[in-house]
Parts: sequence; structure tokens; C-alpha cells
Amino acid sequence: MSQPLQLLKEKHIAYIESLDKKQNDLEYWLSEHLRLNGVYWGLTALYILDAQDKFDKEQVIKFVLSCWDDKTGGFGPFHRHDAHLLSTLSGIQILATYESLHRLSDEQFEKCVAFITSNQLEDGSFQGDRFGEVDTRFVYTALSALSILGKLTPEVVEPAVNFILKCYNFDGGFGLCPGAESHAAQSFTCLATLAITNSLDRLTSKQIQKIGWWLCERQLPEGGLNGRPSKLPDVCYSWWVLSSLSIIDRLNWINFKKLREFILKCQDETQGGISDRPDNEVDVFHTLFGLTGLSLMGFEELKPIDPKYCMPSDITSKFKKYPY
Amino acid sequence: MHGTKRKQWSKEALNRKRLNDVKKIKDYRKLVDKVLTLKESQVYDLKSLKSTTELLEINPEFNTAWNFRRDIIDNIRNELDSEFWDNELKFTMKTLKRFPKVYWIWNHRVWVLSHHVDSSIKIWQKELFIVNQMLELDSRNYHGWHYRRIVIQNMERLGNKSLNHQEFQYTTEKINQNISNFSAWHQRVQLISMMFDHDEIANKLDLLKDELDYITNAMFTGADDQAVWDYICWFIEYDNVFKTLELKEYTKMLNDLQTNIVMINDDDKDFSGKENPWCLKVLILIENLQCKRGIKKSDDVLKSKEWLAKLIEVDPLRANRYRYLLDSQYHE
Repeated sequence: MSQPLQLLKEKHIAYIESLDKKQNDLEYWLSEHLRLNGVYWGLTALYILDAQDKFDKEQVIKFVLSCWDDKTGGFGPFHRHDAHLLSTLSGIQILATYESLHRLSDEQFEKCVAFITSNQLEDGSFQGDRFGEVDTRFVYTALSALSILGKLTPEVVEPAVNFILKCYNFDGGFGLCPGAESHAAQSFTCLATLAITNSLDRLTSKQIQKIGWWLCERQLPEGGLNGRPSKLPDVCYSWWVLSSLSIIDRLNWINFKKLREFILKCQDETQGGISDRPDNEVDVFHTLFGLTGLSLMGFEELKPIDPKYCMPSDITSKFKKYPY
Repeated sequence: MHGTKRKQWSKEALNRKRLNDVKKIKDYRKLVDKVLTLKESQVYDLKSLKSTTELLEINPEFNTAWNFRRDIIDNIRNELDSEFWDNELKFTMKTLKRFPKVYWIWNHRVWVLSHHVDSSIKIWQKELFIVNQMLELDSRNYHGWHYRRIVIQNMERLGNKSLNHQEFQYTTEKINQNISNFSAWHQRVQLISMMFDHDEIANKLDLLKDELDYITNAMFTGADDQAVWDYICWFIEYDNVFKTLELKEYTKMLNDLQTNIVMINDDDKDFSGKENPWCLKVLILIENLQCKRGIKKSDDVLKSKEWLAKLIEVDPLRANRYRYLLDSQYHE
């Protein structure tokens, strides 16, 4: 590459803005089930780029409220879809980013808290909805959402934390449930849950050393990070791994310069956006996680991101800290 | 998008695609509206079921359609024979073959198996056969391994018998096919731990000695591979290894491993002019264990500091970790 690599901020902003203008593409409709998550990814990316005003706040809030599933008391990913913990967190994150949680009525607020807590199972884990899929992703989603709403309680937190600790593996990683293989995205969901609930001290210092070791082994010679041993690098792990390292205060255990290069090589220089690997198709998910990775490393004058919530730090600094 | 090559569209190509999409979008949105309307009016019958099939064949990520499908099945359960349930399994299999990484399909399959009219162990045995085939195609599939554990748990529950030994054999097979298959190594740790915890091993010492031979061989074959080393790190730190071998054998094990690892590292140095980072990392761990178990005395010469300094050079991506360990005098 002849020119020095640089972050194409304007292109990325234009790319994110263009996402909602793709109704002429079949893919737009085929991805309805991820729309609310997509709006959260886009809004957070714009915020990090200090361009959040490129989205029409009122229009976005109206869209979020249109995803409300009154039957269950959570958010679906799109109007008329069923509520799920994943989309519920996205809805809450968007409203919180806009400091607009008050747009939920008192009744909706209470219903939402009830929906989230009702998905906790006896062993402290969470199912994503009434159909019983269990995954530490949902423990995180539930506790992060309750934390943003200021509604964590010891009755919910204690068993959830105990469950998370059972997902810790011998190699220093975390799995999606007890006994499952370590995966970097699960490191984030587990460590961030512990951090949000002020429970990191439930890990021994030996475990923390091991966690840091496993996480930094994710960096490959080309600079990118993978999610498990012997897998290819992928930009999204820039977030899952770096946020985890940041939570245990070992951010610099990977090489920043090489990771920055890898992320920047994944930019689409024509239409903007960031992909999982160089020369692949870009999407808003990888665009966000490339940017948040760069932000955590302090590059490119991006706005700071909170490693626990994956939301702008100037928003999360106002959240009530547990224990209340 | 994960693993999709970037395409640069010319204006003409994009216009052509959009023209093509017009009808597809219209049909798709019509179908979505139909399914959601049926769902909202709670029409639970075979016709509704067929509409969800149509939709899910186009878009298996449409979670709400899977939910509706399960509600329909629940409501018309009494009308369904075992052929229906088998077809439902066939449908998810067909979909999984096209989209092996979509969580919703795996979930639906577990749900179908748990609600199948034939609740005997037979359906799970068939399922194990299918999981074997899937892991043949993609031996590291994260969902595949997770799913395998679910299938095994159900077989154990219905057969009232532990399958740990059988599964242990399976991990050996998978590792012999590909020594870098960390998913199999991970599962091996789970199985040995369970067999110890539930007292399922006739001769513990024999099993551990065989295991030691196995990993010593693996070390020579996969010296560049994290999977093998991760497993070795677990094995030498595992409490039951120390308890079973007792100090004398344990000391010999660490010393032998050390000698072999130094040999592998020297070979690498001769061959590529560079030390092998994994050798150095595991040597540090071994020395740490030798100190912890009193095999090395405090006045013995320790080499960990020297190895850490070398690691800063040969594994520069992680240099800060090694510096941290040097600074904090921490030896792993």
C-alpha cells in the first residue's frame, strides 16, 4: 500500500447514513430480524465518530417504540416481530444513548423489567425468550439492560454471577454455558457482566492472569484477532477481545499498531464501512466493532467507548453503579 | 458480512440487481405480512405451518417465524403423527445444511427433538450419527460441538448410563485426524474431569500415563500449534494428575517434558534460527510448578526470567505481557 493507512471517517459516516436508504435492495428486507440491533450499531458508530446528529433522533425513537411488543413486554427487532432479550437490549441502549428512556411509559418500563427478569432460570442463567435457549450472551443482555434501567437486584445478580463463574474454562476463556469451549465473544459477555455487577473480585488473581494470557494469544501475525485458537482473524474480535482486556486492565497486552493496521485494511475505500477481513463485504456490525476497537486503543481521536456497555462513555458515566 | 467477498457494483449492475429485486421484495414482503397476520390472528393449522416453511426457506434467520411455527405445532400436537416429527427434523436438517451457523435453526431442532412424539433414546442416537457427519464437514463448528454435548446429555439421561468413555474415544479420533482441533482437546478436558469427578476410571494411573504418552507425541507433531500446548498446560496443572502420580512420578513427568520441550526448541532454533514461543511459555509454566511443588528450591537457578526476555523478542505481539510478568516477578 503506497499511502499511509488512515481512518476514512467521512466515508464511514456516509456509509452508515446510507443504510436506511436501501429499501430497494432485497437484503434490506431479509435483515429485518436484525434491524433494531442494526440501528444501535449504527448510532453507536456515529456517536464514536462524533456524528450522531446524522440520524434523525425523533425518527429513530419512533422506530424503537414501534418495535415494542406489548404482549411480552420487550422489544422485537422490528415492528410486529416477537420480543427477545437481544433486541430488547438494543432498544434500551438506543433510548439511553438519546437520554430518552422516559419515552417508555411507567407501565412499559415495569413490564420490560418484568420481561427481562422472567427469563432468568433456576441456575441463574437466562433464556433469550420463552423457548429456552440458554447462553451467557443472554445473561449479559439481561443484566446490561437492567443496569441501564437502574433495576439490578441481588436476587437477580447473585445467581447470574454464579452461573457466569461456572462458564470459566481451564484455558482462561469463557464458554456459552458450563462445559462449552472458550470463545472470545463469551469472554466479553462474562467479564462485562461481572464488571457491571461489581463482581470482578469473584475471580482470583491467578484466573485474571490466565484470562489475560488467553485473550492476548488471540492476536495473529497479520495483526488481527481471532475468537478461538487456530481460527482466522476477524475485525469484530477487536471489540470482544479488547473490551475484555480493558475490563481486566490489561489492554496493552496486544500490539496496538498491528491491530490498527489490520482494522484499517478492512475499510472499503470506495463506499465506506469496515468488513471482517480485508476485501470482504462491509456491514454495520463490523464497522462499529472496528471503530470501537480503535477507540479503546486511543487512535484516530474517536470518542471514548465504555468496554462494559459498548456505549459512549459520556452516556454510561451517568448510569447508577451497582450495588446501589 | 462474515466471510463474503467484497463486490464493487457498477452502476449498471446495481440497476439490474435492483430491477430484479423489485419483484422479489414484493413477494417476500407479501409472504412476511401473510405469516405475521396469521400469527396475530392465532391461526394454528397446517396451512399456517406451510406458510412459515415457505418463509423460513427464504430466510431462516426470521426468529419470529420459528416461534410461530412452534406455537402452531404445540396447538395441533394431537393431529400430528410420528411422520410429521421426522419431516420436521428433515426440514431443519435441510436448512442447517445451507446455513450451518444460524443459531435459530439449531434451537428449533433441539426443541423438535425434545417434543418429538417418539421420546425414546432412539431419536437421540440417530441425532448423534448426524452430529458426527456435521463435525466431519466442519470439525471446529462451535454450535456443532455444543449441540453434541446436548445430544449426549439426553442419551445419558434416557439410557441412564455415562457415555464419557465413548466420547473420550471420539475426541482421540478427532485429534488424530487433526491435531489442531482445539474443540476436541477442550472436550477431552471436560471428559477426563467428569470421569475423575464421578469415579469412572478403573485404573487412574494407567489412564494418565497413556495420556502423557499421547501428549508427548502430540507435542512433537504440533509444536507450532496452540491447541496442543493449551492442553499440556491444563494437564500438568490438573490436581488429579499430581494426586495420582504422587511426587516422585510427577517430578519425573515434569523433568521429561522439560527435556523434550528443550529438544523441540533447539530443533526449531537450528531449523529457523528462532526459538519456539510456545516452548518457552510452557517451560516457564513447568518451572513455576516445580517451585510450587517444592521440586525446585529457592536457591536453585531459575531460568524463567531469561525465557521471558527471549519471549519479548520472539513473540513481539505479546511483548507487554512478558514485560509485565518480568516487572511483577510473576512466573507462570
